[in-house]
Amino acid sequence: MGLSAYYDNYIIVLIFLILGILLPVVALTFGRFVRPKNPYAEKVTTYESGIQPKGDAQVRYHVAYYLVALEFIIFDVETVFLFPWAVALDQLGWYGLNIMLIFLTILVLGLAYSWKKRVLEWN
Amino acid sequence: MLAFEATWSLMTPEIVLGALAMLVFTIDFMTGIHEKKPFIGRLSIFSLLVTAVLVLVMNPQGGQIGDTFLVDPFAMVFKLIILVGVALVIMMSMNYLDRNEDIYQGEYYSILLFTALGAMIMVSSADLITLFIGLEIVSISSYALAGFKKHNIDSTEASIKYIVLGGTASAFILFGMSYLYGLTGTTSLYEIGAAMPELFADYTVMIMISLLFMLGGFGFKVSMVPFHMWAPDVYYGAPTPVTAFLATVSKLAAFGIIIRVFTLGFESIYAEWAFIVATIAAITMIVGNFIALTQQDVKRLMAYSGIAQAGYILVPIATVLNNFSITVIIFYSVAYIMMTLGAFSIITLVSEQSGRKTGMDTFAGLYQRSPYMAVAMAIFLLSLAGLPFTAGFIGKANIFLLAINGNMLWLAIIMIVTSIISFYYYFGVIKQMFMAEPKPNAEEIKVPGGIQAVVTVTLAGTVLLGILPNLLLDLFTGFNWMI
Repeated sequence: MGLSAYYDNYIIVLIFLILGILLPVVALTFGRFVRPKNPYAEKVTTYESGIQPKGDAQVRYHVAYYLVALEFIIFDVETVFLFPWAVALDQLGWYGLNIMLIFLTILVLGLAYSWKKRVLEWN
Repeated sequence: MLAFEATWSLMTPEIVLGALAMLVFTIDFMTGIHEKKPFIGRLSIFSLLVTAVLVLVMNPQGGQIGDTFLVDPFAMVFKLIILVGVALVIMMSMNYLDRNEDIYQGEYYSILLFTALGAMIMVSSADLITLFIGLEIVSISSYALAGFKKHNIDSTEASIKYIVLGGTASAFILFGMSYLYGLTGTTSLYEIGAAMPELFADYTVMIMISLLFMLGGFGFKVSMVPFHMWAPDVYYGAPTPVTAFLATVSKLAAFGIIIRVFTLGFESIYAEWAFIVATIAAITMIVGNFIALTQQDVKRLMAYSGIAQAGYILVPIATVLNNFSITVIIFYSVAYIMMTLGAFSIITLVSEQSGRKTGMDTFAGLYQRSPYMAVAMAIFLLSLAGLPFTAGFIGKANIFLLAINGNMLWLAIIMIVTSIISFYYYFGVIKQMFMAEPKPNAEEIKVPGGIQAVVTVTLAGTVLLGILPNLLLDLFTGFNWMI
């Protein structure tokens, strides 16, 4: 094929990229020039369903959420590996079972570690 | 019935190390968090030694599992270097961990063992994917190890910097690998190397981009010059035994894969990249040595000295890539591990005894406080500088001869000049040890057993390789490194 065919295929991607960037930029710029400008104090405050906003904008949340999400990612990827193995298990036979058991053992050790180290506790 | 026919016994060292690392891991979490666990440390050293014996004994003729796992003399020798290096790091860190309560002991040992496992996978891979898996195991474990001191802001800063920059470097490597895969349709380095000559004629720019990005990514791990900025901060912030690990084992494993990728994959277009690597080596040596002149902190000094040493090791890669040059690189790697681990163990000892500070003045009057350690440190620094009767001298002499034989006289001259410049800062430490007065409230230094053992082994190695280098060079002469 050659290098020019490679470039041709990507020209379309480049055009889409440029259009994708230009569309909101053009729309918002056009609006900026067309709309009336009349700011006053009450209009500029943050909207909070009509109530006066008070307090810090940064909400603090429990760090255990992060740890649960981390554990979820790992076991979710494990599940992703389990599904095709389960579908093909009758062709894989005992050999396939043993390999998957080794994989699961390693991950179960990780679960045991996080259980014993009280990673999943909320206090 | 589907079964993959392969000689799985080739992977026995890795499987054994993996199983023992998980055993260490399990023992750790079954016991309490804050206890001292010297048993786990000794078990880790034992598992590393068992793995080293297995590397020597199983399959000495080598072999391959498909194209993904490769055992040849190159891989076996590098694995031995890695295992011995990690064992010395663990010996060096056992007393350090007892004194620093804010480091969780069991996890430290198990992460180090997993890092050794990753490094072993790295150096015996002939496939881009396996190489990347090994590299990521080492990298991610190193990110965790760099930040291991809890509630210490320098350690956390080191870890964050290492994660962010290391992630970028891994992205560079993957980008380079993706171009190679896209052009050849395979990730096996053998097939890429076979297809390289005609590919390079058609797709010159893409191959060069791929090569440069991969060199950049691997160069990050070995702290080569445009990618060296992480080294001083990470070396300074990490706990000192971890710094020793990063400066030796991690760097040498990355050099192993640079040699592997460039010999198997890019050998046929050697003329294109030789000058680039030579220029990078020259700049690395110059930058590393010049910036080290101004350092006041010993760990940062060793970081910049490590950058310069990476430049020295790049010189044989730039000049020629045959069996003899790989012999020279491996000899220098063995010498480098001996002298750097020895130096770092004495730095650990001295900084622990001086209230955990790592300035140059902690070495003041070391000769009067502990003469054996001062003399040992002096020999390690002389070896790093490249003075005779030490392994560093033989290593540098071989690299110098290789550069001259490869018609890169300018590179050899830069190497010599920068080595001479490096004398100044190595001698700065020696001057502190021998000619400065010890601080008024300096105590008597009690040398822990682990550091004593490491210093003795590495001192013996450095001096022995300096006086009788043929012990190793004759052993390696007949080897055909890469099958």
